[in-house]
Amino acid sequence: MAECVKVCTENFGKGAQDIEVYKKLGGYENISERLFNMSQFELIDYVQRTNLRGRGGAGFPTGMKWSFVPRGTGKPVYIVVNADEGEGGTFKDHFLMLEDPHRLIEGLIIAAWALGSRAAYIYCRGEFLPCIESLNKALNQAYAAGYLGENICGTKFSFDIFVHRGAGAYICGEETALINSLEGQKGQPRLKPPFPAVSGAWKSPTCVNNVETIMALPWIFKHDPSEYAKMGTPRAGGTKVFCISGDVKNPGVYEAPLGTPMMTMINEYAGGVVGGKLKAVLPGGSSCAPLTAEEAAVATMDYECLASMKTMFGSGAIIVINDTHNMVDLLNVLGNFYSHESCGQCTPCREGTGLLHRMLNQIVAGNGHDGDVELMQSLAGGFGGVTICPLSISLGGPVGAYSAKFRADFDEYIAKNPDHAKPRVQETARPGIFW
Amino acid sequence: MSNYYNMPKLPTESSPKVEIFVDDKAVMVPGDTNLLEALKAVGIETPHVCYHPYLPVSGNCRQCLVEQEGPRGRMLVIACYTPVAPGMKIYTPASSARVKNARKATQEFMLVNHPLDCPICDKAGECTLQENYMECGQNEGRLRPEYGKNYHGNPAHQFVDSKGQVRGGKHVDIGPRILLDEERCVQCDRCVRFMRSVAGDEQLQLAGRADHTYITTFPGEKLDHEYDLCVTDVCPTGAMTAKYFRFQKRVWLLSHTPTISMDDSLGANIWIDHADGKIYRVMPRCNPEVNRSWLSNTSRMAFQNFNKNRLPAIGGISVMKDAIASASGKIALVAGGECTIEDLAALRMLKETLGDRAEIFAGTLKVKSEPDGIAKSGDPMANRAGFKLLGLPDDNLYDLAQHVSDYSVVVCVNNDIIGEGNKSMDAIEKIPTRIVLSAFNDETASKATLAFGIKHWSEVQGTMVNSLNILQKLNAAPTAPDAELKPAYEVLSELAGKPFTCAYDAFKKAAEYAPALAGLAYDTIKSTGLHLEGGNA
Amino acid sequence: MSEHIKGAVHFVANNNLKFDRPDQPIGALPDPAQTFGHVNKIQEQPNPKEVLEKLNTPEIKERCADLLSRYPVGQGALLEVLWLVQGVFGWVPTEGIRWAAQVCGCAPAHALGVATFYTMYNHSPKGKFLLQFCRNISCAIKGAQPLIKYVENKLGIKSGETTPDGMFTILQVECLGSCGNGPMMLVNDDFATDVVDGQLKMKRGTTLTEASIDRIIDWCKAHVNDMPKHDVLGGIVKGHSGHPGAPGAIAKPQVPDYAPPSPVLCVKAEADETGATLTWKGAPEFTKIVVEKKNGSEWVAVGEPGVKDKAFVDAAGKVGDEYRMIATSGERVAKPSAVAVTTQKPEPVEEKKV
Repeated sequence: MAECVKVCTENFGKGAQDIEVYKKLGGYENISERLFNMSQFELIDYVQRTNLRGRGGAGFPTGMKWSFVPRGTGKPVYIVVNADEGEGGTFKDHFLMLEDPHRLIEGLIIAAWALGSRAAYIYCRGEFLPCIESLNKALNQAYAAGYLGENICGTKFSFDIFVHRGAGAYICGEETALINSLEGQKGQPRLKPPFPAVSGAWKSPTCVNNVETIMALPWIFKHDPSEYAKMGTPRAGGTKVFCISGDVKNPGVYEAPLGTPMMTMINEYAGGVVGGKLKAVLPGGSSCAPLTAEEAAVATMDYECLASMKTMFGSGAIIVINDTHNMVDLLNVLGNFYSHESCGQCTPCREGTGLLHRMLNQIVAGNGHDGDVELMQSLAGGFGGVTICPLSISLGGPVGAYSAKFRADFDEYIAKNPDHAKPRVQETARPGIFW
Repeated sequence: MSNYYNMPKLPTESSPKVEIFVDDKAVMVPGDTNLLEALKAVGIETPHVCYHPYLPVSGNCRQCLVEQEGPRGRMLVIACYTPVAPGMKIYTPASSARVKNARKATQEFMLVNHPLDCPICDKAGECTLQENYMECGQNEGRLRPEYGKNYHGNPAHQFVDSKGQVRGGKHVDIGPRILLDEERCVQCDRCVRFMRSVAGDEQLQLAGRADHTYITTFPGEKLDHEYDLCVTDVCPTGAMTAKYFRFQKRVWLLSHTPTISMDDSLGANIWIDHADGKIYRVMPRCNPEVNRSWLSNTSRMAFQNFNKNRLPAIGGISVMKDAIASASGKIALVAGGECTIEDLAALRMLKETLGDRAEIFAGTLKVKSEPDGIAKSGDPMANRAGFKLLGLPDDNLYDLAQHVSDYSVVVCVNNDIIGEGNKSMDAIEKIPTRIVLSAFNDETASKATLAFGIKHWSEVQGTMVNSLNILQKLNAAPTAPDAELKPAYEVLSELAGKPFTCAYDAFKKAAEYAPALAGLAYDTIKSTGLHLEGGNA
Repeated sequence: MSEHIKGAVHFVANNNLKFDRPDQPIGALPDPAQTFGHVNKIQEQPNPKEVLEKLNTPEIKERCADLLSRYPVGQGALLEVLWLVQGVFGWVPTEGIRWAAQVCGCAPAHALGVATFYTMYNHSPKGKFLLQFCRNISCAIKGAQPLIKYVENKLGIKSGETTPDGMFTILQVECLGSCGNGPMMLVNDDFATDVVDGQLKMKRGTTLTEASIDRIIDWCKAHVNDMPKHDVLGGIVKGHSGHPGAPGAIAKPQVPDYAPPSPVLCVKAEADETGATLTWKGAPEFTKIVVEKKNGSEWVAVGEPGVKDKAFVDAAGKVGDEYRMIATSGERVAKPSAVAVTTQKPEPVEEKKV
């Protein structure tokens, strides 16, 4: 395991929640003349040159996202930090905010300077009350130290950060749903276009960024953009905070450069698979297609490689599964999750995720039939590209991939039903009185 | 929910025409609208559930999918939210199996948790889901009964039926006029959007999420608004049903007569749905410039009194004629706002026959209110603009009240001047001969010396001019309680001695008085009416 | 079959249906749930007066004012105000939702939709200790379900239920964002995998076990009267000036010229037989660009390309010439761009994207 530069996690375990400690560790050095002498355009160009891509899951280049925000419209520009981390297997933002809240604030000031934002909202999921407490404490210190508020450090620039506590909805991690939630509505994704960069929160330009993306900015701004860019792959620069969970010896948050081989992550960072042999890996959170042990052996953790393997990098959440697990059980867990978290807007997702979950329940309960798997695949195929947001595909994709790659697990369950070959109950005899 | 402020852009006659390619065939469509409306304009119907032309686009039903050629290949898009762009390439189920399958899949999902109780559902026959099923579904049942259904319903109303299935609330009383069948709701959001964006009073909301979503009002509150019955119109399924029409008639047994609601000067366009000579319901008829798809409860429920307290046609016209002829003093001809253009033409003809002795009075004593911006102008005198068009006074009832002593005869047509609660009109009773032509045995009729029943506006053919100066057609619904009843213009023209045999005769007469009507025929007036040039309304 | 259905339809001898519905308004039909029995217990709501008394306190008013000052539209504070309600009661009574709607200036039905959409708002009272167990994939892999079964057996209740003494409620929830410690749980608002030094702790590398659950439950029982207090919104932030235009906010909109004007970036000059070709990256707000060339020790303007232009050709340019560009945005003139020294244009092998 090569020693990696720590971009986001360098202050972990050093008590950086306190502003004095954070400043001693080099914090808030960026909020200086160097930043204040930079124009918005220069700063966006600076970030573009780092090849920083959004760390929330979609991997959209951050600099490009910022450059889409129209300037001079007379409307305020909002930065919204997406701290609604709810994807199964992802827990980096939780610890990033808990351990180093000031870095998020510092990153936000840099982002606000680039975008001309007056107010930023940190949309933190409701379960993370300790994070919110940590952030609010940090905000109080930052206001007291003059880094936030009116006319920061004697410039004409004013900036406020508010923490918004969500209340339990996975779908609010989708940026337009998050904006709806911020506006005090149900967190249901919006139709696009208009994209949030043009018309987002309160119909104003809005830039939604992940916590990790914003927290990479202080390091980036302190160093040369090329230094960050060269750490990753040619199309995505920098390091990534990986979350490794599941059947590994040392699950946790690890920062590593993009493009690190999957097995290095599992064996060297996380201490190897425990409890059995490696069966499957989910490389990017619960909604991505699993990799089998053979595929995992050759995969590297970057956007392109995983996309070529028909899965996704997502938020860098590696979930390791050993061979004591039946994949149908895990798919049932996902069915439960996504049918519970569907926002109830689009018909296929609202009704379909619940239906798939009920079908999986039947299979797990020993009532599976021949043809159920094909039926599930066919139903999941009805999700493809027809809904407003990709939540339906987050279940439809795994249903297809699990059943294709681990078909034996399904057959094993279905064989438990003695009547599994019985055809679907055809129409029963109708009462004679009507016909 | 999503982007609820996005009202769809609808095509108009002046829309620029652009060329797009539908199934590789070039067609010219309106260029300033969404794809769904554009395809409709060239005769391609796209099944949809949540889209409504007068509600903000919500895009949640995913039924109107089409394929669009884009930079990343052919993508499925929803037609209701995709703007038309010149040269775009669109594929419908006619050429694309993918679209066909996607629509079929959506239709299947739509019915997964929807009860299949069409035989006992009041919406059957005009249900969007039924139409879409025939259009794009026709799925074979693939699911096993043990998967069960997850009926949508308010947890407070859910019950277990005799088969052990958890059911949503049945006929929940959510308002004074509406019943809700929770499990039939498909969460299309239309009623929510109607109440929020059109009625401006967000009384309904989808509560919960995922497949536990259910439609509800705030606990303990009732859905109560002047336009609340419109939610039963926009509801694509049998979830929201009007109490007054529930289980009254199967909709396919109803005949529909397009006409105009003559209780307001906006002249809301309506359908009169009748069967066997009885009106069962009144539905709004879409007119983009007048009432769009909306109708107030007052206008909608008014039909319940159309066949009550009617005045019979007894006594004969000759008696009236004699009474007028034998009058010594002046004659007052009083017309009400429900008179059609035809009635007014006959009235003016009568006045001309009688010469200087006669004078026309018109107006209403009902309270005028402000336009509500939906389907009412607030002026209870429906044909006020028609009066002006024919050169008749439209607001001089008080002149009559002040000079009653000058008159010996009053002929009152469709105007319940005494019954409107204004004391000043009681003076009318001082006129010795009081002839009343009215559909109803109202207070004015009961105080008349001679009351003669005529047809109600719902039963006559005619025209009216609304407050936007649009000439609109009324059609006769065959619902008159008595075959003896005649329209007012026939009676009046007989009094004048030149009887009209049909409404069109009267209309031609009206054209003599009003040049704006010259050259028009009923056939040339569209169902949505005709803009009159240079109106004074 | 229930009474009201029996009375409605009769089968008569000739198999015709006779419909003799009693003359009653259809809306007055009995609710089938009352005939068959409700599935769910109807939550009894507290007296509205008491609810409002508890909510209309000076402290909560102050909190609400602070929240409303943060959002351009009052409705933005709805989630937070609902949290305040939950902070007072431990759950959100119907009257509390109506109160929150009033505070935020939105329709009560809208607030109801919001309050039922998000799963963290409780619509019935919960036990003193709300034990939320993650059941999502990472925790499931590490054995969350057996642990939940264990707790259910230990406390004698099922998930979603409250113990009769009102102490514990067990909930199964989706990912709690601590998969590295899976399986894990939330005790009210504290993440916990164990009790360390008399406090609930979630330490790196620890996971929930049957033994640690026993310790946590014992800890809960011991701390009924001194439960850790958390502010429902994680504390108050002092010193912020609110959102410009919001009620109670002192903030003014951002001044447009807080940052220096943008210079031209990435100026590159390449020479071939047609002269020197300059390429650059311009900001959308540019209103004027001037190209200057170094002549001895002085800079001489040689041209003024359009703000949307991609390239500029100086016919007299040759390798070694020095160029710079000066951009104007509105009335503000930016500092000159970095000096670009003209290089020989390479042979066109491939088109490079900027």
